[in-house]
Amino acid sequence: MTQPDGISLDGVCKTFAGRGRVVEALRDVTLSCPKGTFTAIIGPSGCGKSTVMRIALGLESLDAGAVRVAGEPPLEAARDGVTGVAFQDAALLPWRSVRRNIEVPLEVLGRKPDAAHVQAMIELVGLKGYENSLPGELSGGMRQRVAIARALVTHPQVLFMDEPFGALDQILRRQMNVELQRIWAETGSTALLVTHGIDEAVFLADRVVVMHAAPGRIVDVIDVPFDRPRKPPLFSDPAFHKVCDHVAEVLHGG
Amino acid sequence: MAAERRFAGLRNTLILLLLWEIIGQLGLVAGGALPPPSDILIRLWQDRGDYPGHILATLQASVAGFVIGNVVAVAAGVLFALSPPMLRLFRGINIAAFALPPIAIAPILALTLSGMAPRVTLAALGVYFVTMTATVIGIAQADSRAEDVVRAYGGSRWKVLRLVQFRGAVPSILAGLRVAAPNAVLGAILAEFGGGGRWGLGTYLLGSLGRGEPDRLWGIGLIATLIAGLSYAGFALLSRRLLGATKAVTLNAAVPTGKDDGGPLWARIGMALATVALPFVLWWALIKLSGAPAMIAKTPGDVFTYLFLAPSAETAQAKLLAALAQTLPITFIGMVAGLAFAFALAILSKLSPRFISGFMPVALITQTMPLVALTPLLVLILGRGTSLTLWITISVTFFPAFVTLAQGLALVPRSAEDLPRAYGASRWTELRMVTIPASLPYLFAATRLTVPRALLGVMIAEWLATGRGLGNLLNQSRGYLDYGMIWSVAAVSVILSVVFYQ
Ligand SMILES: Nc1ncnc2c1ncn2[C@@H]1O[C@H](COP(=O)(O)OP(=O)(O)O)[C@@H](O)[C@H]1O
Ligand SMILES: [Mg+2]
Repeated sequence: MTQPDGISLDGVCKTFAGRGRVVEALRDVTLSCPKGTFTAIIGPSGCGKSTVMRIALGLESLDAGAVRVAGEPPLEAARDGVTGVAFQDAALLPWRSVRRNIEVPLEVLGRKPDAAHVQAMIELVGLKGYENSLPGELSGGMRQRVAIARALVTHPQVLFMDEPFGALDQILRRQMNVELQRIWAETGSTALLVTHGIDEAVFLADRVVVMHAAPGRIVDVIDVPFDRPRKPPLFSDPAFHKVCDHVAEVLHGG
Repeated sequence: MAAERRFAGLRNTLILLLLWEIIGQLGLVAGGALPPPSDILIRLWQDRGDYPGHILATLQASVAGFVIGNVVAVAAGVLFALSPPMLRLFRGINIAAFALPPIAIAPILALTLSGMAPRVTLAALGVYFVTMTATVIGIAQADSRAEDVVRAYGGSRWKVLRLVQFRGAVPSILAGLRVAAPNAVLGAILAEFGGGGRWGLGTYLLGSLGRGEPDRLWGIGLIATLIAGLSYAGFALLSRRLLGATKAVTLNAAVPTGKDDGGPLWARIGMALATVALPFVLWWALIKLSGAPAMIAKTPGDVFTYLFLAPSAETAQAKLLAALAQTLPITFIGMVAGLAFAFALAILSKLSPRFISGFMPVALITQTMPLVALTPLLVLILGRGTSLTLWITISVTFFPAFVTLAQGLALVPRSAEDLPRAYGASRWTELRMVTIPASLPYLFAATRLTVPRALLGVMIAEWLATGRGLGNLLNQSRGYLDYGMIWSVAAVSVILSVVFYQ
């Protein structure tokens, strides 16, 4: 018996029609992420990266094709609490404290928040002491870390992240990359990361999916061979740079 | 800086009061129609035994109407926000609720309902539109990114509403309540004008108008303004308390999904027809439900019969048309004058920011004043002629129009103004190129906002003082027990307001 893929998209097409303009956001996108793997999507702005994720989350309908998350249709997977998600923007509820924001997914799924576990998540992202702060009182980077803790709080089997570190500075970003790899390895979840940082994609992912725009499509999938756990010195390894250069070439080439 | 400004404000207020006192003491305005503040206060003290009963009556009606109207408004707002077709279907009713001149239906309410009910109803109607709109806008503007988070975990429509949208709408709803509170007081007072009864500030005001006692009239006006102002201030304070650092921290850049008006042509036409028909259906249903005698309570059909089919239809039509011919021109002139005045002042105040910072508080205070309810005071000063009607219309259009325009102009980005200036444009060129075009949309918004008010102002002046036009016809018909005419005037004035609003 074969395990179902963590995430699978098969021949997905999506067009947006608005204001007399039609945007072909995705054309025939096929992608499968085996269970427990880490996949990164990279591509120019507006090429449909977020749309891929939103379709896999069941937030957007699709015109053609099929989507499965852990073998289920996206919305069912979501209702079963299989997925975790962190968006580009932290999207916190401004009237809830850090702790209560992290508890939102549990509340939606109707699970009882486990105070110790929520506290562990807060400490994991380095926000100890800010449990009762409101989002308005935090810096952009801190808010983004709340969003990551919120994505992890449900013990997701499949983790979606849309440019979650976009708002962080380079140093914090590296730290979070290392942390994320550790968390992902511990939980054994399937991860899909949308990013615009080539080094981040190569450092974290087993495979880097490169997309081009107009119409949004996958042009190449590049395997990243490095052993795990990957350590920060990898960032200055010549082999690492070779892979990065290759990704950049595919990204910018015709 | 702030303390300095507060000091200047206090100083200006004191100067104004002093001027008022001098003018009043010398009896300069209309032979003593404007009494000095000291006389008003003394009279207030002498009348102190009368006030509690009247204040209590008005407060009871306002509070009950405020609560009922807002409960209905928030429920309706949630329904409309969740279901755009419902919003479209109820558009006719919503506009009618906004545009109908309370004075026109006050006699009807007094006929079909009893006791406090007419006052409560008008107070509730006064708050419904404001709060309903605030709720719909608040919910629609909720952070779509936060909605996505809830939906991404399989959250139902209800969960999204409960966790994100409703709480996110609270600031907007509170702002709505703030504006709605003085409206409730105004609605209750207008119902008292139109409905008789023994207690209430409106009744007191009308009774004192007949006796020609300026200082008492001013005292009552002061108390009414104070109640309305306090209710506004109360909610302003409440919203500041409740909403501290909970504003959204980044701008939501998501494009709202455009309202899909699609569907086949017949469906759209059907929807439009239903929107227009619904208010009449509601009217008919309310009459049937109220169980009022057919003699008094007229259905839409009855009104049509009265105006077009009955033997007396011709005289009825003639009377109605004559009244319209008196009311409409003056409404129009007053409104145009009020708007033009507001427009000119708003543009000019752009040239002198000091002026606007001095005048804006005054204009804002008038927003909370039951202006039209103070008509009796103006009757004292201006007499019962046409100029009274005109001034009331101008004043009820001017202030809201000015506030809308001034706030709109404040939103014009600095850079847009700096650009012509950087090329050495004169003040006038800058006005012509930037300020005036930027303010036009707000002028249109202000026009729609003020049409119903202008009509209301004219009708109240006619009713209470000048003895002309629709307002007078309404008052007369009440005396003659001409129920058909009462209903016709009400229907015509509501339809007029809605047509102008569109
Ligand atoms: N709700 C929408 N309505 C209309 N067009 C959209 C919508 N969402 C995305 N698009 C369009 O689809 C394309 C892909 O968008 P997106 O997936 O957000 O790109 P990325 O995340 O790669 O920057 C863009 O051209 C964008 O304008
Ligand atoms: Mg994106």
